[in-house]
Amino acid sequence: MIEFSNIDIIRNLLIATQWTILLSLAAFAGGITVALLLTAARLNKTPLLSIFVRIYVEVFQGTPLLMQMFLCFFGLSMISIEISAWNAAALSLTLFTSAFLVEIWRGCIDTLPKGQWEASRCLGLSFLQTLRYIILPQAIKTALAPSIGFSVQVVKGTALASVIGFVELTKAGSMLNNATFEPFKVFTFVAIIYFILCYPLSWTSKFLEKKFNASR
Amino acid sequence: MLNFSDLLPYTDQFLKGLLTTVELTLYSTLLGLILGAVLATARQYGSSLVAGVVSVYVELIRNTPFIVQLFFIFFGLPSIGVMLSPWQAGMIAMVINLAAYSTEIIRAGLGTTPKGQWEAAKVLGLSFKQTLLRVVMVPAVEKIYPALTSQCIIVMLGSAVLSQISVPDLTYAANLVQSRNFRSFESYLITAGLYLLLAILMRKAFNMIGRRVFSYRVIK
Amino acid sequence: MKFKNIFKKTLLIAASLATLSAANIVQADVLQDIKDRKVLRVAVPQDFPPFGSVGLDLKPQGIDIDVAQYIADKMSVELELIPVTSANRIPYLQTKKADLVISSLGKNPEREKAIDFSTPYAPFFLGVFGDKEIQVKSADDLTNKTVGVTRGAVEDLELEKIVSSNTTIQRFEDNNTTLSAYLSGQVNLIATGNLVAAEIAKKQPNRAPESKFMLKESPCYIGMMKDESALQSEVNSIIAAAFSDGTLNSISMKWLKAPLPEGFGA
Repeated sequence: MIEFSNIDIIRNLLIATQWTILLSLAAFAGGITVALLLTAARLNKTPLLSIFVRIYVEVFQGTPLLMQMFLCFFGLSMISIEISAWNAAALSLTLFTSAFLVEIWRGCIDTLPKGQWEASRCLGLSFLQTLRYIILPQAIKTALAPSIGFSVQVVKGTALASVIGFVELTKAGSMLNNATFEPFKVFTFVAIIYFILCYPLSWTSKFLEKKFNASR
Repeated sequence: MLNFSDLLPYTDQFLKGLLTTVELTLYSTLLGLILGAVLATARQYGSSLVAGVVSVYVELIRNTPFIVQLFFIFFGLPSIGVMLSPWQAGMIAMVINLAAYSTEIIRAGLGTTPKGQWEAAKVLGLSFKQTLLRVVMVPAVEKIYPALTSQCIIVMLGSAVLSQISVPDLTYAANLVQSRNFRSFESYLITAGLYLLLAILMRKAFNMIGRRVFSYRVIK
Repeated sequence: MKFKNIFKKTLLIAASLATLSAANIVQADVLQDIKDRKVLRVAVPQDFPPFGSVGLDLKPQGIDIDVAQYIADKMSVELELIPVTSANRIPYLQTKKADLVISSLGKNPEREKAIDFSTPYAPFFLGVFGDKEIQVKSADDLTNKTVGVTRGAVEDLELEKIVSSNTTIQRFEDNNTTLSAYLSGQVNLIATGNLVAAEIAKKQPNRAPESKFMLKESPCYIGMMKDESALQSEVNSIIAAAFSDGTLNSISMKWLKAPLPEGFGA
């Protein structure tokens, strides 16, 4: 029987933490990209596109992330699309993240006065120009705090990738638990590492929110 | 390629799982919201020590994943002598989660109460408890009701993770079925559909309750 | 792990995400694929000592890993290990995420419909094990008791057949979780393999599970995609060679501290 010291446990957890960070970054980057496309589609005011975005949001916000991961991982494979645990996790987290971001941003954009669109149109700005020069600079300011706040959910969401066998922080934790049988210790370490990852994001989000509210 | 008829013999399993999920959601929503309201009050109006303790609890829960909390409760606590059944462990995890989030949400609602209301209530001779329950709480909750609704739905969807500690919920049923007939795509697809349905019904139910509770505004 | 590697991996991942939609579906000879690719991808357990568990570096090690290495060496290809759980090993095979499953896999009719098997490579039996305090001698004694088991494993299917409806079966995602549930006292009876129970006894003498009754003799086979006869005969001949050159026996000595039983594999 191999003996794991505390140092061994922490070292292994930290190695796995790199994958948690990487997966979070990939999911957040992917989520932002998809959410931008969806936001553009929604603002375009084509009825079909708006309906698509509505259904997209409803489906990915209305089903468990775990189920989305199972479907991406085993489901897609069953219909002959080959996908690794990493890809399945990154894909489902991207879908999940984008569905929430697009809603968060909708709130931010909708608070901007409608007159701005009309005024821009009068000035001869195209749809994209209005978006780029008028709407986005204001929307980004309001959207920053809630988006960073949501990134905490993304980091925590990566923990579910453990269930489809991707070795990130949580999976490493349950593997180590089995090798050491010290669940209290191992899961406390795991929780502390997640807290260290998430708390600065929560704090930043709150700070920005206060700052933004104060400047209004 | 797709074959849903292989799922038919397992209808019972799905229904039982669905029932467990509904049951867990019902209890945890009730308990979580009550606990959230109490903690929000403590955080907003309590001494700085009480407020500090509550905010440490809220931050700890909000900044760690649900599945880790669940594993900690189910596998970790027995080593310090606290043994819980899967159902109890799952329920506790759901309640402490919803409570943490709803504390933050309800507190934000309480924060919007104009000072004048407290002063007016005091002048009228209402106690703190009376003011809180009869004057402040309902309008405060009304303001943040949509956020509260969303949070309850998020906790319901998060309960899928309870299958990992063998709580026989809807996801557990899906996993069991696919391990028997190897029809994972169909099984998960149906299950995802059922969750979506639950989420939609839950929002409808919340809206209905909201309309009743907040109807005091309509002064005839 | 170096961050440079992680960066490289990210690029690879980005590339593979991009080509995701273009995933190709080619029906081909798996053995030929392995030889062309020069890599044998084997699904192995990581939570099922002594067949496969993790060492200090969290890399799998055990009987199944040694057998996989032997087969890869005989085929003169590189070995790629894919850690799997009991519940997902067959989907891994069906969806071509792995070429072979060497994961203490038992045979049953449902599985035979889904995949093909090699000749057996290791002996194994399944049983109900548990706390010394609990008096259980047969399936009937399990009435009103709770038994933990890994979902989808042969022992799960066997247990379900013989117990009455008054027995609670708690199913867990993988062996890791089942073992954790037993070790933490969440369940006091588990259905699992004899070797696994022996391993727990070694690890946690105070929770050493006692053998209650046997469920089924279930030697381990190597699983592969259906109708891959070239691959199947290649694997079978490698197993035969491993019996005759003493490799399987020395693997048994290494992990079980005992030789293979008389007559096994003959």
